[in-house]
Amino acid sequence: MRGCLLTERNRVNEEELKEVEIIVEPGQGQAELNIGPQHPGSGHMRLVAKIRGDIVEELVLDPGYVHRSVEKLCENRHYMHLIPLVERPTIIDSIHMNMGYIMAVEKIMNLEVPERALYLRSFAAEVNRISSHLYGLGILGIFIGHSTMFMWGFADREPFVEILQNLTGARITNSYVVPGGVRRDLSQSVKEFAIKAVSYLRKKIKDYENIFLNNPNVRARLENVGVISREKAIELGLVGPNLRASGVPYDVRKIEPYAAYQKLDFEIPVYKEGDAFARTLVRMEEVQQSMNMIMQIIKEIPEGEILNQRILKQIPPQRIKKWYEEQKRIVFPGYFASMRPPKGDAISRVEASRGELVYYVVSDGSSIPYRVRMITPSYMLIKPFMEIAKGHRIADIPAIYGSLDYFPPEADR
Amino acid sequence: MIELSVLDEIIYYILRPEFFVPVIFPGLITSMILLLITIWAERKIAAKVQLRFGPLLISPRIGGLLQLIADLLKFVFSEIIVPARAFKALYILGPALLLSTSLLPLVVIPISTSIHYSLYVIGNNGAYVPIYVNFSLIAALALSMLTPIMVIMTAWATNNRFAVVGALREGFLMITYDVLLIMSAFSMAIIYGGVDLFGFVNFQSSHYLGILMNPISAFVFLVAMLLGSSRYPFEIVEADTEIVIGPYTEYSGLLFILTMGGSYIKTFVYSILFSVIFLGGWLPFSGGIGALFTVFKAIIILLFSVFLRSVYGRYRIDQALRGAWKLMFLLAIISMVLSFIWRWFLVA
Amino acid sequence: MKSLSQLSKPELSKINYVVSELSKLGKEVIKDIKAEGERRGYAELVDRKYILLVSKKMKEIGFDHMKAITGIDFPDQEAIQVVYHFSSYSDLELAKIIFAVKTWVPYDDCKIDSIYNVFPSAYTFERETYEFLGVYFVSHPDMKLFFLPEDFEGVFPLRKSFKIKHEGMFIDREE
Repeated sequence: MRGCLLTERNRVNEEELKEVEIIVEPGQGQAELNIGPQHPGSGHMRLVAKIRGDIVEELVLDPGYVHRSVEKLCENRHYMHLIPLVERPTIIDSIHMNMGYIMAVEKIMNLEVPERALYLRSFAAEVNRISSHLYGLGILGIFIGHSTMFMWGFADREPFVEILQNLTGARITNSYVVPGGVRRDLSQSVKEFAIKAVSYLRKKIKDYENIFLNNPNVRARLENVGVISREKAIELGLVGPNLRASGVPYDVRKIEPYAAYQKLDFEIPVYKEGDAFARTLVRMEEVQQSMNMIMQIIKEIPEGEILNQRILKQIPPQRIKKWYEEQKRIVFPGYFASMRPPKGDAISRVEASRGELVYYVVSDGSSIPYRVRMITPSYMLIKPFMEIAKGHRIADIPAIYGSLDYFPPEADR
Repeated sequence: MIELSVLDEIIYYILRPEFFVPVIFPGLITSMILLLITIWAERKIAAKVQLRFGPLLISPRIGGLLQLIADLLKFVFSEIIVPARAFKALYILGPALLLSTSLLPLVVIPISTSIHYSLYVIGNNGAYVPIYVNFSLIAALALSMLTPIMVIMTAWATNNRFAVVGALREGFLMITYDVLLIMSAFSMAIIYGGVDLFGFVNFQSSHYLGILMNPISAFVFLVAMLLGSSRYPFEIVEADTEIVIGPYTEYSGLLFILTMGGSYIKTFVYSILFSVIFLGGWLPFSGGIGALFTVFKAIIILLFSVFLRSVYGRYRIDQALRGAWKLMFLLAIISMVLSFIWRWFLVA
Repeated sequence: MKSLSQLSKPELSKINYVVSELSKLGKEVIKDIKAEGERRGYAELVDRKYILLVSKKMKEIGFDHMKAITGIDFPDQEAIQVVYHFSSYSDLELAKIIFAVKTWVPYDDCKIDSIYNVFPSAYTFERETYEFLGVYFVSHPDMKLFFLPEDFEGVFPLRKSFKIKHEGMFIDREE
C-alpha cells in the first residue's frame, strides 16, 4: 500500500516508539518524578525528571498534549481561511503569528504594503509584545511563589488588551493583518486610549522594580539559575529574549527589518550573564522600549491607505462605500477565499514576543497552500530546556520554565 | 463553706482552666474560629495589595467574612478518596493527630492570672493554666515538636512520591527551626532567671519588656516561627508549583481541611508563646481581660506573619537551610551573649 | 514604491561569497545553486548522501544553527523533498541570510544522514520530521514519537495519503 503504515515497514524498532524512557538504577537514591499535566507547575505538558536526592540528573520533556495539527490543516484550507488558524497556537501573541504568515504570502504574491499599514502593523505588534511579556512575567512570578507579581502582571495587561480591542475588535486572536495591509484604521479615540495606557504603565514599572526585581528573595531564586553560555546558546539554537540575555545582540527587527522598524528608534537590551535573572531583566526592558515605540508611532504615523491598491480595486464598490469610506474598515467579499498566488515558495521571519518566528510557505499555484511550516519560538526551546535543567534542584525547574517563557501550545501547534 | 446554686457551680467548672483553656479559649473552639478569620484576613490583605477585592461574593456587606464557612462546608461534604496503595489506618488518623498535637502546647502555657479559678498559687497570684509545671518553657517547646513527626508519618502513609519529597523537606527544616527556637528562648531564660513562663511575665512586669531587652532574640524567634509553620517566604514544605502541596497531596474532603488547619494552628500557638516571652503576656491587666489581651497580642503577630504572603516568593530548601545555619544561628549566639551581659547588669 | 524592508541591504558580496564557496564542492555534489536577492538563496543536491559533507562546509562558511528542516511530500514523484534552512547568529552579516539546501528522499528508502552532530539545533526538527513523514535520520540519538500520542497508529500524518476525517454535523430534530 502506498504511504507506509507505521505498523509495517518503517517502524525500525518497537522500542523506539516509546516516547519517554527514564532508566533508574536501584539502590542509588534515584527516583523518577512525574511532573505531569495535572500539576500546578507544569502547564500543558509533561516533564519527567530523574532525581537523585534533590538534584535533577535528567529532564525529559513530553510535549504534544495540545497538538492541534495546524500544519496538516493548512493543507486543506484556502489562504484567507488560514488567518484565524495560524494565529491560534499562541493566542496571547496572535498579531505576530498572523503577520509572519501574511508576510510569507505577500512575498509569494509580490505585494507591496502601503506605509500607513506598515506603521499600523508595528503598532499592533508592539502592544501585543507588552501584553505577552506581562503574561510571561506573571507566570514566572507564580512559579516561584510570588503571587503579587502574578496578579499585577495580569491586571496591568488589561489596558493593552483593551487597546487592541478598540483597534481591531477582538482582545486576542485579532486577525488584524491581511495580505496587502491591515483591516482597520487608527482613530483618535484609540490614540488617546493608548497614550493613557502607556503613561499608566510607566508609573507602575517602579512598583514592579520595588517588589519583584529588587526583592532579595526573588533574586536568590533567579540569579545563577539556568545559566546558558553564549556558545551553548548559539549551538542549541535559542531564540528571543533568552538569546539576548546570553550575550548575542540578535533581534530580527534590526537584522531584517519588516513593518515600520526601519524608521523607528529603539534599542535592544543585551545582557551577558545568561541566567534567569538576566532573562527577566531583558523582558522588563523590552516592555519599556515597546512603550517608547508606541509613542513614536502615534506621533509619526503618515496618512494614506491601509490596503494595497491592487486588492482594494477588487472589492465591489458598494462594500467600499458602506464600510471603507464611512468607518474605514475592510470587509472582504466571499470570492477572496479562492485567491490564487503564483507558484513558488517563501520563508519569512518576525520577532514575536518569545523569539523568532519563521514561516515557510510552499505554493503550487492553487488556492490551497501545498505546505506551510511554522517554527515557533517555544518549539526551538524544547531541546535547550532539556539541556539547561541538568544539575539543578527540583525547585529550580519552575524557575527555569518561567524564565525561559516556554508556552506549551505554541510548541505543540 | 460557701453555698453555690447549680448554675453557679456549672459556671465555676466551665471556667476552670483545665476545661476552659484546651476546649474553649484559646484552645479548640477559639482556634478554629480564629483559623477561619485568619485565612480570610490573609486573602483580604493579599487582595488589597494585589489590586483586587478578595472574597466578596458570599456576604458582601461584611466584606466576605463568611466565605471561609462556605469553603469549610464544601470541603466537609466532599468525598474522601483513599488511594488504593496507601496505609489506610495512618492515612486517616494522620490529619487528626496532626491537629491535636499542634494544640498540645497550650496546656502548659499560662495565659493570665486568676485567684478564684486556679489551683496553683505562686506568690500572691494564681496561674491560669491547666497544668502548672515550673519548667513550662521546656515543656511547651517539647510538646510542639510532636507535630513534624506526625507530618512525616502522614506523608509516608500516603505512598506518593511528591509527599515523600515534602516530608524530607519537613525533616530538614524541623531540625533547623527547633534549634533556633530553643536558643532564642533560652537566651531570654538567661535574662529572666528561670524556665517558668509564669515567672517570665512577673519579671517583665517589674523590669522591661522582653522585646526591648533583647530584640535580636525576638527576631530569631520570629524567623524560626515562620520556618516552622510554613509561612511565606518559607513555604517550602507545601510548595505549590514544585511538589503539589507536599505531604498532603492525596487528601480531599474533611481530611484536607484538618491538614490545612494544622499549620495555621501551629503559627497561632507559637504566637502565643511569643507574646508571653517577649511582649509581656497579659500585662498590664490580669484576670479575664488579661487572657483576652494575651491572645490579642498573639493575633497581631499572627496577622503579621500572614501578611508576608503578598510580598515574598518562596525560598529553595537549600537556601533556607543555608541562611538559617549561617545567619540565624550566628544571631542566636550573639543574642545569648547579649543576655549574659544583661543578666550580669541586672544582678550586679 | 519600495517597501521599507528593502531599504537595508546586506552587502551583495556576502551571498555571492556563500554561493562561490559552496560551488567549490563541485558539480557531483551540487546540482543547482542560485542566489535569490541579497537575503535568500538555495542549493539543490545531486544525492542525499552528500548532506553531511555540505553541512560541514556550511559550518566552515560561518552558519551556526538551523532555522528549519522541512519535509514536503510529493506523492506523484514518490519522494519526499527535505529542505534545510541555515542561518547564523555569530556573524552579523551572515545573519541576514537564510540559505536553503534541498534534497530528495525516495519512499522506498526513507533514510538520510542526521546532521545532529554538526548542528545540535537540528534535534527537534529531525525528530518531528521522522514522526510526521517517516524520514529516518541515521545516527540521531532519539528517533521516537514526540508530539503524537504513544498509541498513534496509521499512516504518517503529514503525507498526502493521510486524509483528515471529517466529522459529520449533528442536527437535533425535535419531534
